[in-house]
Amino acid sequence: MKYVSFVLVFAITATLAILVSIPLGQIPPLAPLLDPNHGFWQNSFSEDQLAEEEISLQNLSSPVEVVYDENLIPHIFAQNDADLYRAQGYITAKHRLWQMEFQTMAAAGRISEIVGPMALELDRMTRRKGLAFGAELGLKFLQEKDPETLALVEAYADGVNQYIEQLSDARLPVEYKILNYRPEPWSAYKSLLLLKYMSDMLVGDRDLEYSNLRKILGEVGLNRLYPDFPKDNDPVIEKERVWDFQPLPVSKPDSIPYPDDALTLGNLPQPIEGTGSNNWAVGGSKTKNGKPILANDPHLSLNLPSLWYSMQLSNPEHSVKGATLPGALGVISGFNEHIAWGVTNATRDTRDWYKITFQDDTRKAYKYGAEWKQTDFRIEEIKIKGQQSYLDTVVYTHYGPVVYDRTFKTERQDINFALRWVVHEGSNEQRTFLTMNKAKNHSDYNAALDHYTAPAQNFVFASKSGDIAMRIQGKFPLKWPGQGKFLMDGADPRMEWQGYIPNDQNASTLNPARGFVSSANQHPVDPSYPYYVFDNSFEHYRNRRLNRRLSEMTQITVDDMKALQFDNYNLQAAEALPVMLNLLGTYKAESSEAEKYVKELRAWDFFADPNKKGQTLYSIWFSETAESIWRDLLKNEMPLVRPNSYQTIELMTLFPNDSVFDIKESNVMETAAYHVQAGFDSLLVAMKKWEEEEGDYSWANYKKTTIQHLVPNFKSFSVSNIYTGGASGILNATGSRHGASWRMVVELGDTIQAFGVYPGGQSGNPGSKFYDNFIPVWANGDYLDFNLRTQQTAEGVLFKTILK
Amino acid sequence: MRFIFLTVLTALLVVFLNPVAPFWAVMIGIGLISALLYPNGIGGFMGGGLGMGLTWLGQSIYLGIVTSSPLPDRMGELMGMGTGMTLIGITGVLGFFLGGFSGWTGVLFRKVLQKEPKNIYRG
Repeated sequence: MKYVSFVLVFAITATLAILVSIPLGQIPPLAPLLDPNHGFWQNSFSEDQLAEEEISLQNLSSPVEVVYDENLIPHIFAQNDADLYRAQGYITAKHRLWQMEFQTMAAAGRISEIVGPMALELDRMTRRKGLAFGAELGLKFLQEKDPETLALVEAYADGVNQYIEQLSDARLPVEYKILNYRPEPWSAYKSLLLLKYMSDMLVGDRDLEYSNLRKILGEVGLNRLYPDFPKDNDPVIEKERVWDFQPLPVSKPDSIPYPDDALTLGNLPQPIEGTGSNNWAVGGSKTKNGKPILANDPHLSLNLPSLWYSMQLSNPEHSVKGATLPGALGVISGFNEHIAWGVTNATRDTRDWYKITFQDDTRKAYKYGAEWKQTDFRIEEIKIKGQQSYLDTVVYTHYGPVVYDRTFKTERQDINFALRWVVHEGSNEQRTFLTMNKAKNHSDYNAALDHYTAPAQNFVFASKSGDIAMRIQGKFPLKWPGQGKFLMDGADPRMEWQGYIPNDQNASTLNPARGFVSSANQHPVDPSYPYYVFDNSFEHYRNRRLNRRLSEMTQITVDDMKALQFDNYNLQAAEALPVMLNLLGTYKAESSEAEKYVKELRAWDFFADPNKKGQTLYSIWFSETAESIWRDLLKNEMPLVRPNSYQTIELMTLFPNDSVFDIKESNVMETAAYHVQAGFDSLLVAMKKWEEEEGDYSWANYKKTTIQHLVPNFKSFSVSNIYTGGASGILNATGSRHGASWRMVVELGDTIQAFGVYPGGQSGNPGSKFYDNFIPVWANGDYLDFNLRTQQTAEGVLFKTILK
Repeated sequence: MRFIFLTVLTALLVVFLNPVAPFWAVMIGIGLISALLYPNGIGGFMGGGLGMGLTWLGQSIYLGIVTSSPLPDRMGELMGMGTGMTLIGITGVLGFFLGGFSGWTGVLFRKVLQKEPKNIYRG
């Protein structure tokens, strides 16, 4: 009997122990997660409670001191570059390990390994775009051409890996505990992959949509609704700039045979609307202190842990501070003792599609002129949590990978398109940032930028010596006008890019007469620039508001620049709303609701402040109106992109009776007024529903700005309904899911004054008080002190750690 | 008396061994202590259970107080279990069952090893 009862109870105990240590469906292993000594409870500590005076870090040539300020911003003091970046890797991993690994897993198309089959399609798309392929070429480039930079990238990786090796179960980031996996070793390759991921996030193309539009509208109709330059072009580089170089010749073929299939294949995911940025610098002639001031606010998806991580990196040679990208070396947007710089996305179509004609079903060769060229096959093994790996064969041509083929997103057996993208060429973006971090003047800045390929950026610059500058840097293909706007025939060698715009002919300006430089993702140049420049997503409002304000401002202070970053003026509404109210006339005047809304709209001052109701009403009304105007066009069952808001408003204003407003199926001739009124009807319906369900429709309550955890399901790790103003197309471009991901203002006086903030916190741990503590500061338009510190600075020290 | 001893020793084991060893190592430890102290079956179960359960409960409450972290609430919401208070309770209950069954197993293990008394007196 005693044997039986022992075996029985032992079996129950063992079964219980096993059940709570294995995952059950989506539920992670319970005991390791709930164990107060190793599980999530241990992630309740904030970093200052876990402060260590000394940490062992191998391979350093001398000890490194890390001083955390009261916001947990580390200031790293090392004796040389290798030590500095090794420490940067270690410290970044200490605070952001899960995020940096997760982002590179996404860039490598390996999310299925973590979350299972639901991410397979996403992973296939990522692999087929060739991001990992590009990063491999980037690594090869460093091995062959820049071993010095490679050594530093490897030092960083070593720092990350030493942290991973020291990591106890208790300190393991909570996301690993919930998702039940562990970090794998970091490598130089992963750092490069991260920079490719940024390209993917920021670069789009609409070749497919434009090809379809060309077929529907014809060349003339297309150019009218989608002109290459707007009427009010206010470009990044001032219009007055004289191009004092001899451009390279670009020859346009006499006749261009575009692939003319009915194109209904899928399209690459595009950068989400609202992804953009502002940067500017004002010269001493316009500022109160006579010193240049530089400002930068990149707009990206608002996520937690934040994309950015603030740091100061110092060695005897230089001291640089600003925003770093966890996983990449150095500071990406920041300043040192001599200069400041910042970035905005230099939107331009650098992604082109070529139709591939294979010789036969084996896809071993494809037509190119009179010959057949050989393809390469790359087998992508996608590991899937809880399932067998998926093997995806991707065909590579000399243009790049065949993203769409018979196995992926197209039903037609004969449709194959290869992607040509500069991301698939060896490049050295990391070198740009490492050199920029040490730059002392304008020529150092230019030399740093010469290494930069993608994603193209508008690099703003200001120096203590009084210079301000802007340079649009990227590797831009030489194209004939119209090239790459539509899908091209890959069998025709005349469709090839004809080289690249030389770096010294990329649009740039130094100390322009107007006293400022600025960019807000608008057209880079005036039509006088000798090279073809095209994109579908240029900005039309933030740039004009910004330049208007900078032109009229004098005696500018740092506070003025902060206020301008937080400027909520809706220029689009200021231009469109009077036209819309006019076209609305007395429509629905008898309804008391309509009267109330019209009254609120008329009284609105066009500022998208959080408490304004006019902004809510306008945003719904305009989007419903535009929807109504282009519904006829978008009825075509193929991927299309509709004319932008600027063009729509221009048509409504100047040509309200134009035939574009007519709905073909109806018997009467519709005009702009019809659509404005239809939009107003939709507004009334939407508002009735909103007022019944939610009540308050002031702007912040309506747009519900949310900063979402990188795993969208982890809702309680996100911060939602943040009370703040702004919207897409407004300088304070804070929409519901996008906005200023980092704000920085730097005055380059004798002592540099710097301020910065981002919507998140230094810690990646949702249990830490430093996880989201910057959000209220950011939402309020306030800033943190970002001045450079010396090793001796005593005030505001949270704790210090020596690495040795 | 043995039951109280077992409770206290289990608690000490959790406090000192658990930070450096996983929960299953603690379970083995509780089984061994329970076998050594040899209370009755209920005493073994309750001693091991209360020792580990109360310690886990206390530790999670303590961590909540010293860190004032929002994490327990966030985890509670994430796991669909309401607030952090629920998770404190679940942690305690889980600890109770793991410790309790370990303690009981220890007692029964000792019983298996125990020689029958009749062998001593009757040769």
